[in-house]
Amino acid sequence: MQCPDSLRVQAYLDGETDAVSAADIERHMERCAECCALHRDLEQLRTALRRDLPHTPIPPALRARVMRALDEESSIDTPPRRARATWRTRPFWMGATSGGLGMAAVAATLAFLLLSPQLTSPVVDEVLNAHVNSLLSTHLIDVVSTDKHTVKPWFAGHTDVSPLVADFEPQGYKLVGGRVDYLEHQRAAVVVYRHGAHVINVFSWAATQRSLPGKLTRNGYHFVFWKAGDLQYCAVSDTGWDELLGLVQLLQDLGGRDAG
Amino acid sequence: MDDRRSRFEAQVLPHLDAAYRFARWLARSPDDADDVVQEAILRAYRGFDALRGSDVKAWLLTIVRNCHSTSLKQQQRRAQVPLPEEHDTQDGYALIATTPDPESASIRRDEEHTLESLIAKLSDDYREVLVLREIEDMRYREIAAVTNLPMGTVMSRLARARSALKEHWLLQAKGEPHAVP
Repeated sequence: MQCPDSLRVQAYLDGETDAVSAADIERHMERCAECCALHRDLEQLRTALRRDLPHTPIPPALRARVMRALDEESSIDTPPRRARATWRTRPFWMGATSGGLGMAAVAATLAFLLLSPQLTSPVVDEVLNAHVNSLLSTHLIDVVSTDKHTVKPWFAGHTDVSPLVADFEPQGYKLVGGRVDYLEHQRAAVVVYRHGAHVINVFSWAATQRSLPGKLTRNGYHFVFWKAGDLQYCAVSDTGWDELLGLVQLLQDLGGRDAG
Repeated sequence: MDDRRSRFEAQVLPHLDAAYRFARWLARSPDDADDVVQEAILRAYRGFDALRGSDVKAWLLTIVRNCHSTSLKQQQRRAQVPLPEEHDTQDGYALIATTPDPESASIRRDEEHTLESLIAKLSDDYREVLVLREIEDMRYREIAAVTNLPMGTVMSRLARARSALKEHWLLQAKGEPHAVP
């Protein structure tokens, strides 16, 4: 025989009661051993569920597949007179800028597909894929903001790391937002910057023992890897080396200041 | 740039991970879940104009759930198509029955003890309310909207799901599989 108040205990646990009945239930649990035990068990169960259940994000391949299906769908319901209809996969915030970015993305894909990269490190491979995907698909930015106080807390809820986030607009690197990507089996944080017409993705994830190259170029994209504390960073872009290293220097200086 | 598409991406796609997780809990195989997610996003896009500033996540998960039921019905209909005459039932059975190899059987034994597998074993009705509450952190009224159930039913199913799960899990945690009070 179950106490008739057990559903109210559950509602209390789920935060579905107002203050008055919450106090009521608390008083009841002091008297009713059964409900007190129920509350304790349900709390234990919840703790275990939150600890053990994976909050798996959608796999990048499926995300890409869904995006392609969406492209096809949206090209059906718009007039076909726009020749480059399918390239509306550009991130929406780029919409206002010139078509040059779209063309650059086309060229980048072609380069990516035709050159068929021989990559030595799987991490480089993963980062390259994530970077190119971010330019092609609509998944450049999950949280759009130029304010580091918006982007950083957002990462706390969505990724496994808390990276450096700062706006360097005066120096020419404008913070435009953040994104989650799946790298090395982790939810990596990606801070997205604009430098002129270029996008710079700064990936960060919990560093592993794996040794990574400091700098390299693949398929026309420059990569800079560095470690700070227990985080592994990688900045990727098709800007020139000087521009990319400029941002890396700013981030490293900032990291140094924060640490010291 | 297509304004409708941009609004869709900004409002709906942040819930893509939730849609995927929910589909994984509902569907019988990862492939089915992938198809359900894709179909749900397309349907959501087609029906996007009908969305009026309400709870986007609950709206999307409702579509995921509907897509799942549609695909389940289609699968059941296909399964009812009789086998060609030359196959007797014995053959038909042999086609689908597989002998588990020792390795996968042992993996299954390990997985039996995880919370995830205990949830997977709950009935569909119980599992969906539990997953929406504990994994997607939804309110009762949102769960009621997604599952198209009265709130009272949501609460009682949730209680029964938890009680079933708790019983298995606590007993197993204490290592007393037979000590049912």
